[in-house]
This record gives sequence, structure tokens and C-alpha cells, in this order.
Amino acid sequence: MHIDKFEDAIMNCRFCFMCRHLSAIGNVRFTEVDTPRVRAAMIYGLRTGTNSFDDEDFVDALYRQDLSACCRRNCVNHYDENGLALAARADVVEAGKAPEAVKKLAARFVKSVGWKADGAGDVAWFLDETTAADKAVVSATKKLFAAAKVSPKIITGGSIGKALKVLGFLPEAKAAAEQFAAFLKAEGVKTLFVSNPAAVNALKQDYPAFGVKLPCDVKCTAALVVQYKVKFAKAAGEVYPLADDFKKNYENCGCMEKALAALKATCRPFGTNDGETYCCGEGAVVLDRLHPELVKALAEYVAARADDPKRDRIVVASAYVKNALVKYGKLKAVTIEELAAGCL
Amino acid sequence: MKVQTDSYMFEMIRTELTDAVGDASVDVRFADRFGHSIDYYWIPEMWHDRGKECPKADFIVHPGSTEEVAKVMKIANQYRIPVVPWGGGSGSQGGALPIYGGIVLDMKRMNKCYGVDKESYTVRCQTGIIAQHLEWNCNKEGFSTMHLPASISCATIGGFLAHRGTGVLSTKYGKIEDMVMSLEVVTPSGEIIRTLPVPRHASGPDLTMLFLGSEGTLGVITEVTLKVHPEPEAREFRAYIFKDFHTAMQAGATLMRSRLQPCAMRLYDETETKTHVSKVFGIDLDRGAYLVFGFDGPKDIVALQMKHARKIMEGEFGGKDLGAKGGEWWWENKYKFFYPGYMFHVPQAFGTLDTVADFAHIEKVYWAMKNVVNKEFPDARFIGHFSHWYEWGCMLYARFIFPGDKVPPNEREAAALYNAVWDKAIRAAIANGGVINEHHGVGLKLGRYVKDLYGSAMPVLEGIKRQLDPNGIMNPGKLGFAGC
Repeated sequence: MHIDKFEDAIMNCRFCFMCRHLSAIGNVRFTEVDTPRVRAAMIYGLRTGTNSFDDEDFVDALYRQDLSACCRRNCVNHYDENGLALAARADVVEAGKAPEAVKKLAARFVKSVGWKADGAGDVAWFLDETTAADKAVVSATKKLFAAAKVSPKIITGGSIGKALKVLGFLPEAKAAAEQFAAFLKAEGVKTLFVSNPAAVNALKQDYPAFGVKLPCDVKCTAALVVQYKVKFAKAAGEVYPLADDFKKNYENCGCMEKALAALKATCRPFGTNDGETYCCGEGAVVLDRLHPELVKALAEYVAARADDPKRDRIVVASAYVKNALVKYGKLKAVTIEELAAGCL
Repeated sequence: MKVQTDSYMFEMIRTELTDAVGDASVDVRFADRFGHSIDYYWIPEMWHDRGKECPKADFIVHPGSTEEVAKVMKIANQYRIPVVPWGGGSGSQGGALPIYGGIVLDMKRMNKCYGVDKESYTVRCQTGIIAQHLEWNCNKEGFSTMHLPASISCATIGGFLAHRGTGVLSTKYGKIEDMVMSLEVVTPSGEIIRTLPVPRHASGPDLTMLFLGSEGTLGVITEVTLKVHPEPEAREFRAYIFKDFHTAMQAGATLMRSRLQPCAMRLYDETETKTHVSKVFGIDLDRGAYLVFGFDGPKDIVALQMKHARKIMEGEFGGKDLGAKGGEWWWENKYKFFYPGYMFHVPQAFGTLDTVADFAHIEKVYWAMKNVVNKEFPDARFIGHFSHWYEWGCMLYARFIFPGDKVPPNEREAAALYNAVWDKAIRAAIANGGVINEHHGVGLKLGRYVKDLYGSAMPVLEGIKRQLDPNGIMNPGKLGFAGC
């Protein structure tokens, strides 16, 4: 089983409480089952027969997870309960026990593969579905490209495998990765800009794990702020940056911090601590589609921790987090690209 | 619970509970009930490890307000359903395990913090708040609860109140019972009461103290006002290695008798220094006993206290100074001791023989426990450290550890071996002037010793229980009270 690759997490997280305070879903549902401890204990129970994937509540709990990985960051051993949960999802799918909603969503992502590129040259911008749906972010990013004197061709058209991987559909995710890599090669892309941290993470970490080689460098669109000598007319002012789940807990390229410095932003710490995720399930990529009610609860939890919810300008790395905070948290959130474009 | 889960009566009760707290706040699903069937007590961990089912609650209820708790209590009383309050579930004594089924009252939905009173330096909160969340809230306003236990990340404030928990700064700031101003409590019959608003008075016996440490057997603590403290200007630590634990104990006791005010002090015996402290710090401390202490407050006062403390350590007791760095190792790693890999873990069998005694008895208690464990259970290792120091004595955090291959494969035999260690060690501690225990509570694990401990005072305790909880629904089978 896939879970067997996470023996450390199974054996150690099952009786450990040291990251309970960081369980985002546990903190809004107030449940034990939504904690690394109980998930790991239940997964261990698969071996002894006390638990099984026939238990729909157990499977539901696996698909409710926020996957922020802040538990792993907090753990002195960095046990990867996040990886364990993803492996368990893959086992659920292989056992044919995935919930109907999950199957439907995965089928939609499989069907969605069909990229097209508008424009010319070897520099491209992958405009993922979530970012593309936010016209303000798209417009701001286009302004940034123009200011940086970069004319990318724009790639649109479906999942590159991240959502499928997160849902536990590994062969389908790998197939999408192979197809996307082939598409980029065929298009002659040498530099690929990406806005969504989840997509960046897929390209930089999932693809190598699948054995898929990319023909190009991958850059965050936030990097346009610092790497292309863009001149900004004004400073960004006071903002509350939120570190996104992928950069904070997986691989931090530092582009958000560098961009904020370049924009001369006066950064205030958001909330009460830097251990929790304030990203409303960003790590779970499609939590907003599976469980919008949970994303709402998470956003309200975040909003309750703002110094002044009506006034504070919150800067985030992804359209996913922005939308959750604006729609459900009623916060004034913008992406880093929007903040930068506003300073041009 | 006497009502069968497949009966219509079960549904009748569920309907009443959902009416009281809302449909989303009553769970009867297996996964949720499973999550509340194991806490940090070794027996259910081992039971689960061996593939055995642990007793489960019938209903997991998440009340959102004191009034909702009161409604649940009235329902439970009417149908004689056991109620077990649950905070973070991180107790090591089995105190929150639903051993007779019934209702687990998971308090985490009651997590509001009402802010710091900057005139009185207090904070009022609901008791379901996780201690770290409360601490973060206070920190944001420039204050601290100074209640910093290893379980801060998981335990709720209510859990600490229920079993008189403590934190690493207890030597100066006290245990949780020293931090409490007043409580709001729902009694087993569903009445909402408030204890007096201040902790020092001459208005009769102190009801606040009655409920602190009652482990959910006398009612549900729903709200608390706690003292808070401004973040200190300075906090400094220093550590020493002494030739043996006896010398270090004398040095520590002398420091406490000097009436200097350390915020924390820890003394590890030779074995724990060598095997455990060295591992956590990543340094070689291969002989002697490690003692660390610290002071906090205004910088000049910290410096002056440190100067006097150093004289004690380095004078007649000849402590080898590990410097401020040697003390910082401990402060920086104070929680690391409790992470997997550093903490003991199933399949090992292990337990913390938490005992407290005055200075005249504490070493006797240590040796009595160590000797009995070493003699009767040669496969077990015995280690100990002394934390939570008072002017009159300190707490012994003694532990026994059996390697996994020395624990019987049969779970009943494993449980019997485990209980036998407790029986011998705890009785040795009590016989030598020790009190079980200082901050972990009694729960299920130590209930059988409570009669020995209280002696002729036990009927008083039982009388209080009967008066408050005539139907015996509150956390039955815990704290030495009857089961159901």
C-alpha cells in the first residue's frame, strides 16, 4: 500500500498531540478525527482490522484534510502526516472506495486536459483555472508582465496533475504531468511563469517524483517584481502578508518576501502566530470544491484573527486564498501581483 | 450506557441532544467515537496497538455555550447517561476515556477568549480553548499566562483546571490552581454556578478549589478567569553538572530555601542526564546530574538573583558551570522531550510515576521507587527528574520504561505487568511520604490508590460527590469514585 512508505508517520503520529493546535480543520470542526493523531491511528487500524476504508466517515475525514503541512513544519522530526494522508487517499482510490464527489471531480480534471498556447516565443505563463477565474489577478499580472517587458504566450486549458494527485488519482496525475511536459516541449517553452503556488509545487516537486522532466525553468509570477528591474511609482504601504501553505511548508522560493521588500511594503504580522495556516485549505488544492462549507469556516476563523478586518490589507500568494478570504472572510485580500501592479 | 444503540430510545436521546446543541454538534459516527477512545494513557495506546477495540462513547457532543452544557447535563441526568468531559484528550491518566460509553462532552467548541483585563492583569476565557491558542492571544496583547506545559499544543485550559496541571514556569508563577481567579461551573444537575470573583477571601470554604482537580466528576468547568503577567524584560537560565543527584538535590533545595525566586528549575538524575538530556540537547553529558534554573523579571533583578544562585551552586555543592548556554539548551528544547523519538513510545511500556513530597522526604521517595522498580522489575529502566520546585519540596517525575521486547505479547498480560509496576512503585512512594500526584491527575490509572491516599477523609470526598452528583453520571469510575 502507498501508506507503507510513511511508516514513521503512522507509528509516531498516532499517539502524538504536539501539533494539535495547528489542525486547521480540527480547529473549526472541534473534532479529534480531524487531527494527525487520529488519522494516523485510524490508518494504523487498517493493519489490525479495527478500521477500514469501508468506513465512509474515515474516508471522509481523509478528504476533509487541509493538507497545509504545518504539522510537519512544527514537528521536531518533521514526520510527514500530510504525505501519509495523500498516500492513504491513493490507497482509497485504488481500493475503489473514493467518495462519489471525489470521483466526479477527478473525472472532470481528467477530461479537462487540453492545453492551448496564445502568443509566441519561448517564455510562457501557465494560467491555471483558479487564477484564470480571478479577472483582477489576471489583469494585474498582465500589467506586471508589460512593465517587466516580458511578453509570454499564455497557456490555458486544464489540470496539470496537481488536483488529481491530491485527490489520490496517481496514474491519472502522472499521465497529466507527462502530457503537460510534452506540450511544453512541443511549444518550445524555455521559461514558464506560474501564478498558483500549487501549480509551482506540482512542477517542481511532483513532476520529478513522477520521473517527468520539464523542458523549462519554472518561475513564480511574483518573481517579475524583483528579477526584471521593474520600476514602481509608489511604495506598497502597510500590509499583512500571509505565507502560503506551499511556500511555507514545502519549498520556499522566497519570491513573496523579496517582492514585498522591493515594493517597500511595511509588513505587519497577521494573526497571533506564524505556526498555523491561514490559507483556508490551499494545500488541499480543491477543498473549496469538495467542502465549501469548511473553506467558509476556515476563512471566518482567519477573519476573526485580523487586527481590523475592515481595514487591513492582506497580501496572499494565490487566487485560491484571496477568494476564500474575500468571499467568506469579508477581508481585503489581494495577491502579490495585484499589490505590485497597484504600485506601478 | 444502558440504552442499546440500535434501539429507538437511542434515537430519542439523540434527538434531545441535537435539540440542545444543534445537529452538527452531535456525532455518533464510528470515526469520531474512535477518536475519543484513546488518550495519552499507555493502556488504551497499547490496546489499540494490539488491534483491540477500546471502549467508545455513544455520543460525541460539542456544546457551544454554558447554557448548552447545562441542557446536556439535564438530559444526561434524566436518562442516567454517563458524561465524560473531554478537552484535548492528552491526559496521561485515562481521565477522559468514556469507559462506560454515554456522552463525551468535547469542550473545544467553547474556545472564546474575552481579552486581557489590563487593569487587573487577568484574562477570561471559555475552557475549551487550547492552551497554546490562549497563550497566543495573550502574547498578542503583551502578556503571558506563564502556563507553559509540554502539552500546551493540545490540552485545553479546561483540561488543566480539571486535573490541576502545571507548566515549566510553575516555580515562580504556580500551578494552574494558583493562576485561577474564579470559575463558572455547570453542576451535574445542570445548574450554572459561579465561584467568588477573587481567590483570596475569608468568605467560607473555597468552591473554586473544590472544582479544581475534580477531573470532571463534580461538574463541567465552562469558563475561567486567569491571572496573566506582562512579558518579562529578561529571562535567563544557567545549568550545572553535579557529581551526583544527591548533591544536586541539596543545591536545588538550598536555592529554594534561600527564598530566591527562580521561575523554573529542573534536576535530572544521572541516568536521565546521560540517556535522555544528552539525546535531546545533542551533546555528551555522560556523567553526573544536570540541574538547570532560571530567573525572569526586570533585568537588574534577574542579574542579582542569578549572582546569588551561582554562589549557592558553585560554593559548597561544587557544581560544574555549564554557563548560560547550558541553561538555554533546556529552555529551547523544553518541549522537544515530548516529541516521538525523544518521548517513550509503544511498543515500549512506560509510565510517569509523578509524585510530590517535601525536601525531608523527596529523596527517600525517589530511592524507594527506584529500588522497588529495579528489584521487582529487572527488565525495566528507572529514570527521574525533579521539576516544579516549591519552598518546601518538589515534584519527582520518575519514569519506568520496559523495552518493547520485554513487554508480554498478550495485551492482558501486558496490562497486568504495567499495573503491577504502578502498584509497587506508588505504594512505596506513599509509604515514604510521597503524594500521588503533582500535576497529571488521578483519572482511571490511579483511582485505586485514592482511598489509601485520603484514608479517613475519603468519605468526605465521597459525600461531596454524592451531594453534587446523586445519579453518579459525571465521569464514573474516575478519581477513585464508583463506576456505573
